[in-house]
Amino acid sequence: MWEMIMGELDHAMQELARGFAHFLPRVLAMLIIALLGWMVAYVFKVALRGILRVVKFDRLADNAGTTELLNKLALPSSSELLSRVVFWVVWLGFILLGVQVLGIVFFQEYISRFFLFLPRLFAALFIVFFGLVAASFFARAALLAAVNADSPSPRILATLIRTIIVLFTVTLAFEQLGIGERTILVAFAIAFGGLMLGLALAFGMGGRELAKQFLERRFLKERQEHRQDELSPL
Amino acid sequence: MTRDLTVTAGLVKEKVVTLPQDALWYKDAIVYQVHVRTFQDSNDDGIGDFRGLAEKLAYLQELGITALWLMPFFPSPLRDDGYDIADYRSVHPNYGTLDDFKHFLALAHERGIRVIMEMVLNHTSDQHPWFQESRSSRDNPRRDWYVWSDTDNRYRGTRIIFLDTETSNWARDPVSKSYYWHRFFSHQPDLNYDNPAVREEMWSVMRFWLEMGVDGLRLDAVPYLVEREGTSCENLPETHVILKDLRRRLDEHFPGRMLLAEANQWPADLRPYFGEGDEFHMAFHFPVMPRMFMSVKLEDRKPIMDILQQTPAIPDPCQWCLFLRNHDELTLEMVTDIERDYMYDTYAGDKAMRLNLGIRRRLAPLLDNDRRRVELMNGMLMSFPGTPIIYYGDEIGMGDNVHLGDRNGVRTPMQWDGGWDAGFSKADPENLYSPLIMDPVYGYPAVNVYAQSRSGHSLLAWMKLLIATRKSTQVFGRGSIEFLQPANHRVLAYVRQLKNEAVLVVNNLSSSAQAVELDLRRYKGNILVEMFGRNIFPRIGDLPYLLTMGPYQFFWFRLRRI
Amino acid sequence: MSVGEVDLLVSVPTHNSAQTVGETVQSIRMGLLKYFPRERAVILNADAGSKDGTREVIAAAASNDLQRSANLYSLRTLPCISTVYGDSPETDVALRTVLAAADLLHAKACAVVSPDSTSITPDWIERLLRPVYRENFDLVMPVYRRHKFDGLLLRNLIYPMTRALYAKRVREPYALEFAFSDRFGGHLLERQIWDQESRGLAAEMRMTIAAMAGGFRLYQTFLGTKPHVDRTGADLVAALRQTVGTLFWSLDANFQYWSATGQPESVPSCGAEYDLTTEPIRVNRKRLYQLFNSGVAELEPVLRSILSPQTLADVRSIARLSDDDFRYPHDLWVRTAYEFASSYHKSVINRDHIIQALAPLYRGKVYTFLVENRDASGPEVEANVEELCLTFERFKPYLLDVWTARE
Repeated sequence: MWEMIMGELDHAMQELARGFAHFLPRVLAMLIIALLGWMVAYVFKVALRGILRVVKFDRLADNAGTTELLNKLALPSSSELLSRVVFWVVWLGFILLGVQVLGIVFFQEYISRFFLFLPRLFAALFIVFFGLVAASFFARAALLAAVNADSPSPRILATLIRTIIVLFTVTLAFEQLGIGERTILVAFAIAFGGLMLGLALAFGMGGRELAKQFLERRFLKERQEHRQDELSPL
Repeated sequence: MTRDLTVTAGLVKEKVVTLPQDALWYKDAIVYQVHVRTFQDSNDDGIGDFRGLAEKLAYLQELGITALWLMPFFPSPLRDDGYDIADYRSVHPNYGTLDDFKHFLALAHERGIRVIMEMVLNHTSDQHPWFQESRSSRDNPRRDWYVWSDTDNRYRGTRIIFLDTETSNWARDPVSKSYYWHRFFSHQPDLNYDNPAVREEMWSVMRFWLEMGVDGLRLDAVPYLVEREGTSCENLPETHVILKDLRRRLDEHFPGRMLLAEANQWPADLRPYFGEGDEFHMAFHFPVMPRMFMSVKLEDRKPIMDILQQTPAIPDPCQWCLFLRNHDELTLEMVTDIERDYMYDTYAGDKAMRLNLGIRRRLAPLLDNDRRRVELMNGMLMSFPGTPIIYYGDEIGMGDNVHLGDRNGVRTPMQWDGGWDAGFSKADPENLYSPLIMDPVYGYPAVNVYAQSRSGHSLLAWMKLLIATRKSTQVFGRGSIEFLQPANHRVLAYVRQLKNEAVLVVNNLSSSAQAVELDLRRYKGNILVEMFGRNIFPRIGDLPYLLTMGPYQFFWFRLRRI
Repeated sequence: MSVGEVDLLVSVPTHNSAQTVGETVQSIRMGLLKYFPRERAVILNADAGSKDGTREVIAAAASNDLQRSANLYSLRTLPCISTVYGDSPETDVALRTVLAAADLLHAKACAVVSPDSTSITPDWIERLLRPVYRENFDLVMPVYRRHKFDGLLLRNLIYPMTRALYAKRVREPYALEFAFSDRFGGHLLERQIWDQESRGLAAEMRMTIAAMAGGFRLYQTFLGTKPHVDRTGADLVAALRQTVGTLFWSLDANFQYWSATGQPESVPSCGAEYDLTTEPIRVNRKRLYQLFNSGVAELEPVLRSILSPQTLADVRSIARLSDDDFRYPHDLWVRTAYEFASSYHKSVINRDHIIQALAPLYRGKVYTFLVENRDASGPEVEANVEELCLTFERFKPYLLDVWTARE
C-alpha cells in the first residue's frame, strides 16, 4: 500500500511538475512582455510629453480652463496627466497581452473588449477636452463683447454660454463611451429645450423692452455714426 | 499780274512750271524765308546779292518750295538789319540794282516760285530823306509825317518792345529839340498815319512793287501804326481802317496778290487783322511756335493743344502762317511767366542765348542737333493748319553763333559746300558780311548742301520728301483740324479733313517709344495708308486703333475706303 | 497705364465720399500746379466700390477749368486715373494698390490724401511731397492741430508706447494722410507684409512701424486742423484692434529691433510741432468711469490670465475708489499696457480677446486724462503727455523682463 501511495504521490508530483513546466514559460513570457511593455510605455510617455510641450499643449489646456480644474483636484498639469494616462494605458495593454499568452480563456473576452473600448475612450477624452476649450473661448468672447457693449450682466451671459457648451460636450462624450447614453441624451434634450423655451418666453414677453432696446441699439448703431458723449479714440 | 510760262533756251535740266492761277495760292504755298545778303554772293564783295540768289533758284525749286519771302533789301543804314528803310523805291547797292531784282523776279516766276517781300509801313530809318526833312524844322511840309511831341509824357504806359536796348518810346531829337515817337529802335522813327499824305505815299510805294510783279507783301509791325492817348497804342480801330483801305485798293488793282501781317499778338487779338476777309490774307501764328518746342521738352501735348484749340476761326480765304524759326529771336512774349522760365531753363541755359524775351538760336542747336526731333518739328510744321515757312539753312540743319551781336547769330552765310567761304562767295573769308559757322559739328565742312545732296538719307533729302508729300494733297493747307485725345498724353493726334479727303496725323512727342490707342470709330471701315512709304496699315474696326511709335516718330495716314 | 512715367503721385482712396472729394481733388490740383509746375504728376483715385457717384465727381473736379479761378497755369497734362479695387474699403488693398501704382509709374514721391479732410489746402501737397521729393526723406507723417480731447487713444497709448519702444517721436503713427518715397514703397512691396495673418490690421500703422524699424528717414509735417469728429463707443474696440492690435503684433515681429533701441530721437518736422485747441466740448465722463468699473469687475477671470497678480491687484484697488477720487496713475497704466503686450506676444489667450479686454481699462485711463486736463491749457496737456511718455520709456526694461520671462 505504501508503494501505491508513493506511486500516486509520485504521479501527482509529476503532474504538478508537468503543470509547472507547462505553465512557467508562459509566466516568464508574460513577465517579459510586461517588462517590455513597461519600457515601451515609458518611451511613449516621454515622447508624448515632449510632443505636447512642443505643441504647447499646456497653453491650450489653460485656455480650456482644464488646468484650473486639475489644480483644484490637486492633479498635475494636463500634459503630464495625459502622458501618464497614456503610459498606464499602454502598459496595461501590454500586460493584458501577456495575460492572453497565459492562455486563460476567461480573460480573453474581457481583454478584447478592453481593446475595443480604448478608441472610444480616447474619442470621449478628445471631445471633452476640445469641448472645454470651445466653451471657455466662446464664454470669454461673449463676456468681452457684452462688457464692451455695456450690456447688463455679462457674467451671467458668459456662464450661460459656457454651461450650454459643456453640457453638450459631456453628452457627446457619454454617448461615445456608451454609458447611459440614452438617459443623458434625454436629460440634455429636456434641459436644453427647457432653457430655450424659457429664454424665448422671457424675450418674447417679459424681456420685450430689453429685447427692443437691444435690437434698437444694434440696428441703429449701424446707421448713426455719431454720438454726443463718446470721444474719438483716434 | 502773273507771268506766263516761257521755255528759256539753255535751261536744260530745269523744269518750267506754271504759276497756279488760283487766288488762294498762298494756302498751298511752302514759303522759304531768306535774306538776299546771306544766300549767294555773285560779285565777291562778301555780301549776297540778287544775281547770286537768281543762280540758286534751281536749288530752291528742287527743294520744292513755292514762295520766297525776302527780308528787306531797301537802301538802309542797316542798323536793324534792313528794317530801317532809307528809300522805298530802290534796292540797296550791296545787293544789286533794281534791274537785278526784276531779272531775279522773272526767273523765279519761271520756276514756279512766287516772291513775297517786306514792306515796313510803321517806321523808316532816321536816315530817310523824309525824316531828315521832317526834323529840320517845325514848319517843314513833312513835319507831320512823323509823330512829334514837346514832352515824352504822351502815350504813357505803352510797352517797350526792344527791352534790351531801349528805355523809352520817345527819343529826343537834338535838331528840332523835340521828341519823336519810335516803337522800335530809336533810329527808326514811327510814321504818322493820321496824316493822309503818309497813307497815300505808302500806297504808292506798295503799288510800285506790285506793278513790278511782286506776289505778296509782308507788312511789318502793323499793330503799331496808330497811336492814341490812354490806350496801349496797339491794335487800334483806326489802324484797321487804314489796313482795310489798303486791301481794298489791292484787290481792285492787283487781284491774286497777298498781304501778310506781322503782328506778334495772341490769336484772339490777331483775329481782327483778318477782318471779314477784307483785311489781311495771312498772319503769323506766333504763340504756337514756342509751344511746339515746349511740348517736345515736356513730352506732353497740352501746350500745343491748348493754343490751337484757343485759336479763333478765321474767314475762309484767310490763312495762318506757321514757322519754327525765323531771323528774329524765338520770341517768348506770348507765353506765361512759368512757361517762359521753363523755356529759358531748358532751351537757353546759357544767358548769352537770351535776348529781348526770346532765345536767339537756330532750329538744329535748339533741338540738340537731334535728327529725330528736327524731323518731328518739321513734320508738325507741315501738318498743322496753315502755311509753313522754312527759314533758310534749317533744311540742312545749320547752326548758329551766339557770340555775334543782336540776332545776327542766326543770319550767317548759307553753307553750300565745304570749300572756300562755304561756296557762298569768293571773297576773303575775313571780308564776308558775317563770319561763317566753323565748329566741327555745325561748321560748313560738316553741314552743307553739297554733302547732303549726295546722300539719299540726309536731312536735305528728307526735307524734300516731306515737302513733296505735303504738296501731294491740299488737305494740309486748306483742311479743317480735329484733335483726338488719346489717353497717352505724350501723343499728339489729329485729323485733317477737306471735303472727302481725310489725313490722320499722329506725333510722338516723347523721347521713348510709346503705344497709343486712338478712338477712330468715326472712320470705321477705312484703311490707313502711310503717306511716305504708301504702305497699308490695318483697317479701322470697332476697337481702339493701336499704334506703336518710336521716339519722336510721326505718322501721316491717308484714310481711304477701298 | 498709359500715363507713363511720373515724378509725383497723389492718391485719394475713396468710398462713398462724393460730398467731400470734389474739393479735395481741386485742392490737390492747385497744390500740384502751384508748387510743382514742371513735374510730371498724376492723381490716382483708389475706389472701393462707391455707389454715390464718387468717381463722377472726381472726374468732373479733375477736368474743370482751374486756370481762370486760381490764376494758375499748368504746363503739362495732369491726368487723373480712377480704379476700383474691391467692393468694400480695405486699407490693406488700397495701400497695396497705391504702392503698385507708384512702382509701375516710377513715381519718386507719392502722397496719400484722405477725401474726408475738409480742411485741405493746396499747401498740404507741398508739405507732404517736398520732404520726399526734394529732401530725400522716406516717409512723411502728418501732425494736426487737434482739440485737446481728440485723439486720446493716440495720445495715451499709441504715441507714448511707439515712441518708447521704437525710439522715434512720431506723433501720429496711424494717419490717413502721408507721403512716401519710391525707395520705401519698394521696400514695402518687397517685404510682402500683406499676408493672411496680418489681415485686418491697420496697414498704415504697419507701414509706419516698418519705416521706423527699417531705418528709413522720417519726417513730420504740419497739416492744419483736424476737425473734431464724434464716434460711438463700439468703434473703440475696432479702433483698438486696428491700432493697438497692430502695435502689439508688430512688437512680436520686430523684437530684434525694439529691444535694442535707446533714447527716442525726434523726427525732423516742419510747421507747428504741436498745437491744441481748447474750446469747450461736451464730454460724458461718468459713463467712462462706469464702464471701467464694470469692466474690471466682470472681466476678472480674463484679466487674471493677462495681467500679473500685482498689477491686477492694483487695478482692482483703484476700481474701488469713488469717481471723485479715481485716478489711473501713469505707472500703473504703463505696467498694464506692457503686460498686455507681453501677454499678446505669448498668446496666453486668443489675441483678439486680449485686445478686447483692454477696452475697459483704457476707458479708465481716458477718464483720468479728462479729469486731469479738464481746465488745462494746450502746453499743460502737452506736458502731461510728455510725462506719460517718459514713464513709458522708464519702464521699458520692465517690458523686456516680462516679455522674456517664462511662465
